[in-house]
Amino acid sequence: MKVAGTAQLPFPPERAYDLMQDPAALQKAIPGCNSLERTGDDEYKLSLKMVLASLSGQFEGKVLLTDHNRPYSFKMLVEGSGKIGFVKGEGVLSLMLLDGGTEVAYEGEAQIGGSIASVGQRLIDTTSKLLVKRFFKKLAKIGSGETDAAEDEA
Amino acid sequence: MIANSFEYSAPGSLKEALALVADGAKPLAGGMSLIPMMKLRLANPEHLVDIGRLAELNYIREENGSIHIGASVTHYDIETSPLLMGKCPLLAETASYIGDIQVRNRGTLGGSVAHADPSADYPAALQALEAQIVLTSAEETRTISAEEFFVDTFTTALEEGEIVTEIIVPIDAGLTGTSYQKFLQPASGFAIVGVAARVRQAEGKFSMVRVGVTGLSGNSYRATRVEAALDGKDANDENIRAAAALVASGQDSSSDLHASAEYRAHLAVAYAARALRSALSRSA
Repeated sequence: MKVAGTAQLPFPPERAYDLMQDPAALQKAIPGCNSLERTGDDEYKLSLKMVLASLSGQFEGKVLLTDHNRPYSFKMLVEGSGKIGFVKGEGVLSLMLLDGGTEVAYEGEAQIGGSIASVGQRLIDTTSKLLVKRFFKKLAKIGSGETDAAEDEA
Repeated sequence: MIANSFEYSAPGSLKEALALVADGAKPLAGGMSLIPMMKLRLANPEHLVDIGRLAELNYIREENGSIHIGASVTHYDIETSPLLMGKCPLLAETASYIGDIQVRNRGTLGGSVAHADPSADYPAALQALEAQIVLTSAEETRTISAEEFFVDTFTTALEEGEIVTEIIVPIDAGLTGTSYQKFLQPASGFAIVGVAARVRQAEGKFSMVRVGVTGLSGNSYRATRVEAALDGKDANDENIRAAAALVASGQDSSSDLHASAEYRAHLAVAYAARALRSALSRSA
């Protein structure tokens, strides 16, 4: 499945880029993420609990950030699996200065399998868009200093 | 498949049910979405509170020029209610399109609304009707519009501890016509695109137009551009076609194995025109 879209962040690309390489910021911004640990130069171990409507599932996986070209673009590879299925995706995020803020364009390919895919086919597109939207909304808040640890993902 | 074990409570009153929900229990209404997810172990609630059996939430009545519907009224009861068929036919017609007869016999209005599936049928009608949704927790009751209630895919304005208790729909004056038109996915019965139209005419012109859309994107919405394009215009097919063409503009169209984003947008235009035409023909 192709994943593509854009998102706006209210701060310049340098700041946006650094935030997206910062494990602490990522952990807060990734919906349901309860830990993100650095395991290598560009590699992180990820654990998250996805909760969406009545559906919930624990995922363990890793994130790889490569092809660094600060502040213009980088490549992200995510792999995760849990009892309810697996997710694997990779994509390029490009950052552009737009009206003093940043426009992030992302484009990539994702694979979803297991029971989550067999019953949720028709919902994968809408739910992945929702999760991406939540991620950038939260990142925008973190970058503008409007958030603290107590706040839940909205 | 068999669900994980869970605790089940069937309280006799709304008050008791709300106390359990406040403690973190998950409300169960008709179970038409929740139970399949539990059997597949995609959902694993530890405690279910059965609100589908509460007589307090099972009513359809006329009050102060509106119709009030309890959250645990089934789709079948909405589809066949003489009050709704006579005074708010859009909701009855929409209910008749949901899933199959087994689902309509068990599934409830409140359950469907609270679940907020992006392809569910009711949201289109509730947006077009500018329905009000009543949310109740152990502490308070508040009423919000359908537009405010449906936030995003599976996301509503419900707060922790709150449940949907009532839906309020208007009774339209004469010369109002409504119609729900749906392109369905035959295996699941869900809408690939569904459009609800509500129009009123005066002296051959559109004096009110409301259009609600489901299935096209991650959330239901009111197609305000279509409404504005028709407002005050001559009630004819040419104007309907021109306005319907705007139905998908500004929307992030969804794509899945049943329909690509382009095809969905195309369907939305075709079905908006159909719904408007059909509503207009019923408005005289």
